[in-house]
Amino acid sequence: MNPPVRRRLLVALGGFGALAAAAIVLAPLAGSTSIDLRRALNPSLPFADNVDAQIFFVARLPRTLAGALVGAALAAAGVVFQGLLRNPLATPFTLGVSAGAALGAMLVITTGWTAAWSGLPAIPLASFAGSTGAVAIVYALARARHGGLSTHVLLLAGVTLNAFFSALILFVQYFADYADLYRMLRWLVGDLDVASYQPIAAAAPLLAVAFGVFAWLARPLNLLSLGPDAAGTRGIDVRTAQRAAFFSASVATGAAVSVAGPIGFVGIIIPHLVRLMVGADHRIVLPSSALFGAAFLVGCDVVARTLMPPVEVPVGVITAILGGPFFLWLLVRRG
Amino acid sequence: MGILTGLGARGSGLGSSGIGVWGRSGQALVVLAALLAVSIATAQERPARIISLIPAVTEMLFAIGAGGSVVAVSSFDTYPPQVRDLERVGALLDPDLERILALKPDLVAIYASQTDLARQLERAGIATYEYRHGGLKDVLTTIRGLGARVSRGQEAARAAAEIDAGLDRIRRRVDGRPRPKTLLVFGREALAIRGVYASGGAGFLNDMLIAAGGENVFADVRRESVQAASELILARRPEVILELRAEGLPGDRRRAEIDVWRRLSSVPAVRANRVYFIADPRTVVPGPRVVEGTELIARALHPEAFE
Amino acid sequence: MLRAADVEFSYGLTPVLRGVSLEVPAGSVTGILGPNGSGKTTMLKVLAGTLKPSAGSVSVDGVDLSRLPRRAVARRMAVVPQETHLAFDYTVLEVALMGRYPHLGAFEIEGPADVAIAREALAATGTAGFEDRPFGTLSGGEKQRVIIAAALAQLTGAADGGSFLLLDEPTAALDLAYQLEVSTLLRRLQRDRPVTIVVSTHDLNFAAGLCGSLVLLSAGRVLAAGGTADVLTPGNVRALYGVEADVRRHERAGHLVVVPVARAAGGAER
Repeated sequence: MNPPVRRRLLVALGGFGALAAAAIVLAPLAGSTSIDLRRALNPSLPFADNVDAQIFFVARLPRTLAGALVGAALAAAGVVFQGLLRNPLATPFTLGVSAGAALGAMLVITTGWTAAWSGLPAIPLASFAGSTGAVAIVYALARARHGGLSTHVLLLAGVTLNAFFSALILFVQYFADYADLYRMLRWLVGDLDVASYQPIAAAAPLLAVAFGVFAWLARPLNLLSLGPDAAGTRGIDVRTAQRAAFFSASVATGAAVSVAGPIGFVGIIIPHLVRLMVGADHRIVLPSSALFGAAFLVGCDVVARTLMPPVEVPVGVITAILGGPFFLWLLVRRG
Repeated sequence: MGILTGLGARGSGLGSSGIGVWGRSGQALVVLAALLAVSIATAQERPARIISLIPAVTEMLFAIGAGGSVVAVSSFDTYPPQVRDLERVGALLDPDLERILALKPDLVAIYASQTDLARQLERAGIATYEYRHGGLKDVLTTIRGLGARVSRGQEAARAAAEIDAGLDRIRRRVDGRPRPKTLLVFGREALAIRGVYASGGAGFLNDMLIAAGGENVFADVRRESVQAASELILARRPEVILELRAEGLPGDRRRAEIDVWRRLSSVPAVRANRVYFIADPRTVVPGPRVVEGTELIARALHPEAFE
Repeated sequence: MLRAADVEFSYGLTPVLRGVSLEVPAGSVTGILGPNGSGKTTMLKVLAGTLKPSAGSVSVDGVDLSRLPRRAVARRMAVVPQETHLAFDYTVLEVALMGRYPHLGAFEIEGPADVAIAREALAATGTAGFEDRPFGTLSGGEKQRVIIAAALAQLTGAADGGSFLLLDEPTAALDLAYQLEVSTLLRRLQRDRPVTIVVSTHDLNFAAGLCGSLVLLSAGRVLAAGGTADVLTPGNVRALYGVEADVRRHERAGHLVVVPVARAAGGAER
């Protein structure tokens, strides 16, 4: 009855992988404008003249890749944070990472600081810096005396930091002028229209490292769900595992948010949906969530940009419309 | 005095009866009373302490000669230079009611959306003028309405007529020339084609663009602003890209910002090198200087017409 | 053999263990007894290596516990906590299989042999029928038995030297029937396998029925240690609990039983 883990893992990877691949391949074909695909993929036409190719390769493809990366990162980070905090209601934003990122972005938008660094514009840099700052503060607060990491204090510190940073953000918004304010609010709902491969190339190495750590974390997370003491007696270094989980998930979240803003609900819907489908074993849940998250966000983005052309609905609105009712259903079901 | 003599003279023509004597001074008194009444009434209607929360309205007030009565302006006012010495009382989102009341104004120009403020001022017995943001036509309507409110109807009519004439002059200059499809951008993330806000087919920016001899690339979108995704910009193929900003940029940053558009290399405006920055508040304030703002836009669209 | 030497431990500024030395002979069932606050759970955690003593040491077969790699220790020592709360819906088999993790390489996935061991362990604790059920849907007693099965799976394949099963208050949350069940199960396990069992408990009768040796802890110090019959005396019970008790052998149960009679005059020494 209980098929061995290896087989379930392969089936899950195959299924979700195919879904993600299909999403990435099909998404650039959809859009508010109809393009001639043959023309777009015709290498003999000069790129600078080929509008179809530009729409495909400059507007849609980077957007799709960004959606896949961000979706995978947020979904996987959601799984890891839930495992670390032993709480299925945790999200990648619970510990204040996105509040720090938002504060960084807001400050840049208001002050108009625009220094770029190796081609990366100011807002993504500042939001990543902000998220790093938030992570450092939360970690410093949660470090227990014996060098451990109290997940209880971690949660409290994160929630407090969220509240504090949100207050600071309101403060910054209050002194912003109307145009800046509107820009800030739009950033907060997320935007995958990167129109360039640079942000993807910048985030990719960070995400690669984070995903590598996730792969190692899968088994320790299973054990951590028994509680840190019980996990320790089963041979894992609880301190290392907790730190690795905290930092890798925070880096993944910070990178994702700096590319596309804080897109909500991906980090909580996907882990739950995946667990409903494949069970609780993190070795299957983690990679499946990453793949499903990629497919999901790419799909939401297609909906966002084709729902009411030429106006684009922010992708964060689509994930919220799908996620809100789902979350309610989850809570009702659990109760 | 001359009036009285004139009346008196006519009165004496009727003969020196008791009625005539009474009539002469009586008529004089009536005229005096009437003059007094008119001047009192006018003095009551003409506000002496005006506060304006809207920069465009401030400019209009100064343009129609009511500048001397303005005692405070919004945090964002910069023109005319006289406002620099005036008190600031906040703006759309943060009007400082206490300061407004402390200045004892008799007229406060507020945004129509500031309903709470309107109620509070009404309770305090202070008259308000509600400003509604609109198209180019509405600039003229607002000037005239404001003129009526501050009893400077004549000056307002003159100012409106000047603006009308100025706009007509521009329209005539660019008349007959082909209208380039223009992307009129008024906001964008720095150094990235992200968060691009462009003028839609409605609103005062759009009206200025049309008066300046351009065609809005989003003419079919019946909204004032469009958040233009990169796919949309590529699909619409604007022939000119105009970025409006309130402040200028140092040379190298300006070049870097214009270069960012090269990512969308198939856009005709990029290929023909017709990406312009207009860093001038006159293009974004729907006030008396719209003519100058429109001309700046027209010069970018049709440089040959202004040789 | 599991040995603790002069172990001291404090939670913050509160001293809990004030120099405890004890020896657990291989193959025995040893009980650590004491009232609440005496430090039994803490002592168990120190023995398991979960807590590091501020002074003193714990050694397994002569080797200091803190020097041994964690996984190596986990392959020989398993702990059954008082209660297990799972954050996610693992099945019973998955929980049992988690006991096999210390035997797997870094990215290795358990193979058929591991599954067989887990299933056998579940059968040994009478929980094989729950294999596919979510752990959270079981009763307290059933959960406890599954965790014991996981511990057994963890200890299977331990190198020579024998293995250690540590249980923290195993009957605290269970009713009488389950208490008897766990007691019987542990006795059977100890008979069938070369496992040394250490149990911390406050339940005197449970300890008397299960353990061959006892260590009595009072306020962080060892009051008495040795064979059950030698240690479980009315005098020690009075010293430990401040209670006058009758200690006698129960023929049908087959072990000593302690019946409290009255509060001791003068109270216990704490």
